[in-house]
Amino acid sequence: MLASAAALPVLLATASCRSQDVFTGPDPLAGPPRPAPDVITLQAVIAAEQGMIQLYRAAIGGDRAAPRARGLEPLLAEHQQHLARLRARLIVPPGAPATPAAQASSQAQGSSSPSSGAAGAGGAGGAARGRVTTARLRAAERGSAAGLVRRLGTVEPALAQLFASIAASDATHVTALGG
Amino acid sequence: MMATVTAAGAVPALQAALAAEDAAVFGYGVAGAHLSGSSQSAATQDWIRHNEARDILSAMISALGATPVAALAFYRLPFAVDNAASAAALAAYLEDGVTRAYLGLVAVRDQRLRTFGALAMQVCAQCAAFWRGSTQAFPGLEP
Repeated sequence: MLASAAALPVLLATASCRSQDVFTGPDPLAGPPRPAPDVITLQAVIAAEQGMIQLYRAAIGGDRAAPRARGLEPLLAEHQQHLARLRARLIVPPGAPATPAAQASSQAQGSSSPSSGAAGAGGAGGAARGRVTTARLRAAERGSAAGLVRRLGTVEPALAQLFASIAASDATHVTALGG
Repeated sequence: MMATVTAAGAVPALQAALAAEDAAVFGYGVAGAHLSGSSQSAATQDWIRHNEARDILSAMISALGATPVAALAFYRLPFAVDNAASAAALAAYLEDGVTRAYLGLVAVRDQRLRTFGALAMQVCAQCAAFWRGSTQAFPGLEP
């Protein structure tokens, strides 16, 4: 018994056995599979939505009772709903990074096309830097809507519909911000 | 422009959008009668926009070799419209309905139709927000 167990690696080597030959499914020894394109897109959109929320929080600042803040709070709440709905579409396997969106954000920056939303269009990336004017929020919303529409062709229908709905919401924010 | 579109489901989605536009044209005619001043002007502009959208959709459907659905002679209103407030509520209701219809186009395979639907949704959602006086997190989708 011991002898046969010791001989197993030799046998496998001589037979040129690889794990792909043994298992018909994904190679369990090759590490986690690469995320599907939809997952990468979704992670990038989540990252952009997080950037938008940071931008609104910076704009509202500490005085939530101020007239401007009161006007921005409902829009911030809608972005938080967007984020929750987007996150609900992403099933994170056990052991995966807790914040895949951060990883996706860096991937999106390396892509040739503009990112999905605020991070690439209106300056929500680095949201806390500088004073956040209404014009900046407007530009971020406009960029977010345009970025989401650009992504529609690459995702499955249900996700495309969610992106389109969020883009429409962002467009209404542009108007609400005086655009 | 859309003559080469062969994506499955494109024609039914376009027909649904056309039917929603037809209903909006009718509904704005009712709403406009109870509005005045700038609200009536806004309703008139929206009525014109829905008429133009109806023509565009009809042309797209015809280009795909199908017959555009005909508008109904009369549409049942979702609630009584007898003053400015209910007229504005009807306008928001109509825009919500058209937004939902264009969401169907976003699910077809053709990327140009998806973009067309998504951009149309944005206009309708903006108009719905105008008439309602507030924005929504998920225009066209169930909350």
